[in-house]
Amino acid sequence: MAWIAERRRQSRFETVVLPHLDAAYSLARWLTRNDTDAADVVQEACLRAFRYFDSYREGDAKSWLLRIVRRTCYDWLERNRPAELVPLEAEDDLNGPARPPPVAVDAGSLLESRSDLRHLDRLIEALPPQLREAVVLRELYELDYRQIAEVTGVPIGTVMSRLHRARSALRRRWERKG
Amino acid sequence: MQCEEVRPRLDAYLDDELAETERALLRSHLESCPDCSPEIAALKRLRDGIRQAAPDYRAPAELRSRIRFALRREAGVSAPIASRAPGWLAYAASLLLAVAIGSGGTFLMIGDRQEDTIASEVIDSHLRSLLATHLTDVASSDQHTVKPWFAGRSDVSPPAVDLAAEGFPLIGGRLDLIAGKPVPALVYKRRQHVINLFVLPASRGDRPETLGRQGYNLRRWDEGDLGFWAVSDASPAELTEFEHAFRAATGG
Repeated sequence: MAWIAERRRQSRFETVVLPHLDAAYSLARWLTRNDTDAADVVQEACLRAFRYFDSYREGDAKSWLLRIVRRTCYDWLERNRPAELVPLEAEDDLNGPARPPPVAVDAGSLLESRSDLRHLDRLIEALPPQLREAVVLRELYELDYRQIAEVTGVPIGTVMSRLHRARSALRRRWERKG
Repeated sequence: MQCEEVRPRLDAYLDDELAETERALLRSHLESCPDCSPEIAALKRLRDGIRQAAPDYRAPAELRSRIRFALRREAGVSAPIASRAPGWLAYAASLLLAVAIGSGGTFLMIGDRQEDTIASEVIDSHLRSLLATHLTDVASSDQHTVKPWFAGRSDVSPPAVDLAAEGFPLIGGRLDLIAGKPVPALVYKRRQHVINLFVLPASRGDRPETLGRQGYNLRRWDEGDLGFWAVSDASPAELTEFEHAFRAATGG
């Protein structure tokens, strides 16, 4: 009766994973910056998660799901908007670089966000995805550095330096218009 | 502690990621240093600003349904197993199924095998319709458009009434397949929830009942020689309210 096992597995998956669907969607929404794309990515991520479900061990289901959603987002961006995935330089610089990070948006939306700088959410969207996700996971999900490192698959030192860079960039743009 | 040692640690201080001794050193520096204290204040302002400015993104109800449906298909159980097996075997299988997954969800046995099969198929059809490619065949809130559309297409003629005044606007109608037969489905909305109302021949003439499965709610009742099956992710209370509004409007 393989179908019973499969049905149980599906049922358990829904119990463990679906409570975190809002968190999954929100992360995908921040990374894709678009409702439709976020929904598609989350659906794909959930199917992936279901296939990997045997590798899930009791524990932090939310981080586990977010890691898969994030990975799916990056795969999706690579396929659909490779220009947004610019590698960050000087990743290991713990003391934080003085230079502004590269901004992966077109001139139009940059202009728009300049004319309306009070809108911090637009400024966050204008950050490169690696910095954007660090800010979102820290400030909105309130994850600690270790959890952010786990979700994003980078060392804790890198999490620190990305957060520093992201905040510096946001402050420069946000405070400029006062 | 000097300013140049403090600055690189401000983020970690703000994020409460420093060891207690280091944290204490920073705190005392920040209390007295006129250059560093505005820095930490600015970081806090930024944090507050971000939390206020950030939209609260939530997964749409339709996505939740889509994912559930995709999972069922992935798990290879989209086709109701009970309907494929004959007689007592199907009954045994449905009993087993209820026992097997009883711990994981809100699966309720209907008791009667045929009813159970219909319930499964009704929920499957509901899920299929939410894939948005096939919600309505005839999209209209006008009962004089929807009702005649079914004439000649199915055995039963559904009483299509718009219940917008009661909070359940009629969206349209669709022909679906339940137990191998074409069955009319009336499509209503309750806020963002879709309610599919399947109209079958009456089965038992029993009193109405509410069932819950995998996050979907099902309300069934009989009226004359018609059996009504309303399925949605709206709450059981709302489905009961829907039943009452529908029966009041159709004179049942």
